[in-house]
Amino acid sequence: MIGNGHVARRQAALLRLTTAIAAAKGEQEIYQSVVDGLHDEALGYNFLGVFLVEAETGDRVLQASIGWQEAPTEMHVHPGEGLSEQAIRDGELHYTADVTKAPRYYASLASGSEVDVPIRVDGKTIGVLVVESSEPNAFGEEDFEILKAAATQASIALGRARLLAEERRRADEFEALIETMAIMSSELELTKVLQAVIARAVALLGVSGGEVAIFEESTNELVVLASENIGKDSTGTHIAVGEGAMGTVAETLEPIIIPSYHEWLGQSPKYSDITVHSVMAAPLLIGKRLVGAIAIVHSNPERIFNEEDLRLLKLFAPQAAIAIENAGLYTAAQRQKQYFQEVVVNSPVAIVTLDHEHNIVDANPAFHSLFGYAEEETVGRNLDELITTEKSRTEAVQYTTQALDRPVRGIGRRRRKDGSWVDVEILGVPVFVEGQRHGLMGMYHDITELLETRREAEAANSAKSQFLANMSHELRTPLNAIIGYSEMLQEEVEELGHDEISGDLEKVHTAGRHLLALINDILDLSKIEAGKMELHLETFSVRSMLENVIDTARPLVEKNRNAFVLEILDDPGEMHADITKVRQMLLNLLSNASKFTEDGTITVAVENDGRGQGQSIVFRVTDTGLGMTPEQMDKLFEAFSQAETSTSAKYGGTGLGLAITRRFCHMMGGDVQVESKPGEGSTFTVRLPQHIDGNAQAQP
Amino acid sequence: MAKILLVEDNEMNRDMLSRRLERRGYEVALAVDGKDGIEKAQSGNFDLVLMDMSLPEIDGWEATRQLRAQPATEKLPIIALTAHAMAGDREKALEAGCDDYDTKPIEFKRLLSKIEALLNADA
Repeated sequence: MIGNGHVARRQAALLRLTTAIAAAKGEQEIYQSVVDGLHDEALGYNFLGVFLVEAETGDRVLQASIGWQEAPTEMHVHPGEGLSEQAIRDGELHYTADVTKAPRYYASLASGSEVDVPIRVDGKTIGVLVVESSEPNAFGEEDFEILKAAATQASIALGRARLLAEERRRADEFEALIETMAIMSSELELTKVLQAVIARAVALLGVSGGEVAIFEESTNELVVLASENIGKDSTGTHIAVGEGAMGTVAETLEPIIIPSYHEWLGQSPKYSDITVHSVMAAPLLIGKRLVGAIAIVHSNPERIFNEEDLRLLKLFAPQAAIAIENAGLYTAAQRQKQYFQEVVVNSPVAIVTLDHEHNIVDANPAFHSLFGYAEEETVGRNLDELITTEKSRTEAVQYTTQALDRPVRGIGRRRRKDGSWVDVEILGVPVFVEGQRHGLMGMYHDITELLETRREAEAANSAKSQFLANMSHELRTPLNAIIGYSEMLQEEVEELGHDEISGDLEKVHTAGRHLLALINDILDLSKIEAGKMELHLETFSVRSMLENVIDTARPLVEKNRNAFVLEILDDPGEMHADITKVRQMLLNLLSNASKFTEDGTITVAVENDGRGQGQSIVFRVTDTGLGMTPEQMDKLFEAFSQAETSTSAKYGGTGLGLAITRRFCHMMGGDVQVESKPGEGSTFTVRLPQHIDGNAQAQP
Repeated sequence: MAKILLVEDNEMNRDMLSRRLERRGYEVALAVDGKDGIEKAQSGNFDLVLMDMSLPEIDGWEATRQLRAQPATEKLPIIALTAHAMAGDREKALEAGCDDYDTKPIEFKRLLSKIEALLNADA
C-alpha cells in the first residue's frame, strides 16, 4: 500500500513519531503518540490501537486508539478473542492478510487485513500494537519495518517511563517511611503511632482506608487501636484470632487478599455494616512472634488488590510491628516507673534522692512528714544542712559522702523543722543509671519508739539481773547458817549417839545444798545475761585439769554404781582458757550423766582437733543412761527446761546447768552439742578453741 | 594446838565456824572487821588466818595486803573466804596475798583439808 511517491512522507511520519514518543510524559502519552504518529495518510492505516496485557486476567486492555472504528478506552479483549493474542504469545509480528478468513476474527473491528506487533519491555511482552486496514492484503514488507520500528520506539520509551515511575514511587515510599519513623521516634504513644502508620499506608497505596490492631497475648485477641476511613470508627474492637480478615492473618501468619469482602465467607459480623469492596491484610510480626495485624480496604469495586499492593503493605508491616513492640516496651517501662513511683510515694519510710552536691532532688511524703517540711522547702536544699545542726553535721555529711560510692547504714539522730530530734535508722545507696552515677538515695526509718522500747527493755533486763544478783547474795547469808548449823548439829548428834535425828538433819542439809546450787546457777546466768560475767584466761594443762575434775566428780558418778572411764589417747597439752568455767562445764555434764545413769558407764574423752579455724580441744562426756527423744533435746540448753517436770522431781538438779554450760562455751568461742537416743544414752560434746583470744571475746 | 584467827563480820557464821573449829581442837580467836583483824593478827601469835573478804570499813583484800606489808605477818598463812562464787574472786584473793581460797557456805571438810595443808607446809 505504500507507493514510491510516499517515501518522503513516510520518512517524515516516522521522524514525527519518534519525536512525539520521546517528548511523551508517562505511559498514556506514549501510547497516544504511537497511534497518532502512525495515523498518517501517507501510510494509509485505517485503525491503530495499543493494548496492554493485564497480568491477573490475561485480558488485552485498550490504552489508546485512533481510526474509523470508535473503540472505547479500557476496552477489554479476553483471552481467546481477537487476532492479536498470537503476537503476545510468541513475541513476533503477525500479519493476517484477510481477517474474514481468520478463525479468531474479531468481528467488531475492520474487515480487511491486520498486523499485530508485540510491545516488549525488559524482554517481556507487555502489550500489542494493532494496525488494521479496511482492505485485504493491504500490508507489505515496508509497512512491517515501519511498525516494528514504531513498536521498538514505544518499548524503549515505555521502559524508560516505567523506570522513572518506579524510582519516583520508591522515593515516595522512602519519604513516607522516613516520615513514619520520625513520627514513631518522636511520638511514643502507641495509638498515635499506629494512626500515623495506617494513614501513611493508606496514602501510599492509594486506597480508601485501613486499620491496625495489636495482639493481646493474655486474651488471644486482636484489639483495633487505629482506624483510618473504613466507614466507621473501629477503634477498640476486639477480634478473636481466626475471625475476619485480620483474625485470619493472625492465625495463618500469612497475608491475605480478599477481592470482594461481602462475598467472602470469612467476614466478621463486626464489619458487616461497612461498605468496603476489597480487603488486604497482613500479620505484624517480630521475628515469628505475632504482635498485631494491619488491613487496608478499598471501596471502589474496580480496584482489586494485587501483588504490588501486597509488596507495599509488606513494607509497612515491619514498621508497624516495630512501633507496637517499641511502644509496648515503652508502656511496660512507663507502667514499671509508675509502679515504683507509687511504691516510693506510699512508702512509710522517708525516701530522699540527692544530686552530687547533696542537694535534694526529690523526697517522698513520708520524708516531709517525718521532718516536718513542705515539699517546696526541701527540693534544691542541701540535705544535711536541712536535717542536722552544726554540731551533728560532720557525722551526717560522712554518711552522705560515703553513700555516693557504696551503700551505708547506720543509726543517728536528725533534726525536724521544729527543732525536735528524731532517732532514725539511715540507709544510703548510690544511684546508678546505665552505669552513670546520678547521686544517691537516702532512707530514714523513724526508730524513736523502737529505741525507746529497747532502752526500756535493756533497763528492765539490767534491773532484773541486778535484782537477781543482789537476791542471790542476800540469800546466801542465811543459807550459810542453815547449811553450816545443820552440818554442825549432825556432827554433834552423831557424837552424842542420837542417830534418830541424824536423818532429818541430813534432809535439812541436803535441801540447803540444793538451794545453794540453785542460787549459784541463777547468779551465774543473771551475770551472763547482764553481760557482767567475765573470762579469766590462763594457760593450764588439760590433763591435770581433767584429772582434778574427775576426782571431784568421782563420788557423784559412782553413787549410782556407774563405771568411770577416762579416755586420753594423746596428751592434748595445754590450753589457754577460763579454767574455772571449763571445770564447771565438765562438772555440769558429769553431774547430769551421773544423775540419769544407773549401773552403766560414764566416759570422759578429750582430744586435740585441728579441723576448722585453729586448734580446738574437744571434750566428750558419754553415758549409757536414759537418753532423750529429739523433742527433749530441742529444749535441752534453755534455762529451766529439764526434759520433763517429773524428771526434775525425780532426779533433782536446777535445770540451769546445761544453759550455763552452753553460755560459757559461747563466751569462749566454742559450742556444745548433744547426740542421744532414748534408752541408749547420750553424748555431750564440748568444743573449745585451744587458745582463746582475750580481746575477741564472744558474746554468750 | 594451832591458833587460828577468824575474821568475819557475820555473827552467825562467826559463831558456827568457830565452834566447829574448836571442836576439832583448834584455838580460835575472833575479829569482827578488817581493822580489828589487822590489829589482832599483828598482836597475837597466830598460825593461820581465815579472812572473810566482804568486810565493813577495810575489806578482806585490803586487810590481807596490809598484813603482807608488815614483816611480822608477811608469811602468815591466810585463807580467803568469800560469798561470791564468782570466777575471778580466787585470782583476786591470791593476788592480794592470800595463800588459799574457799567459798561460803563453808564445806567444812574441804576447808579443814586446806587448813591442814597450809599448817603442815608451814611446819
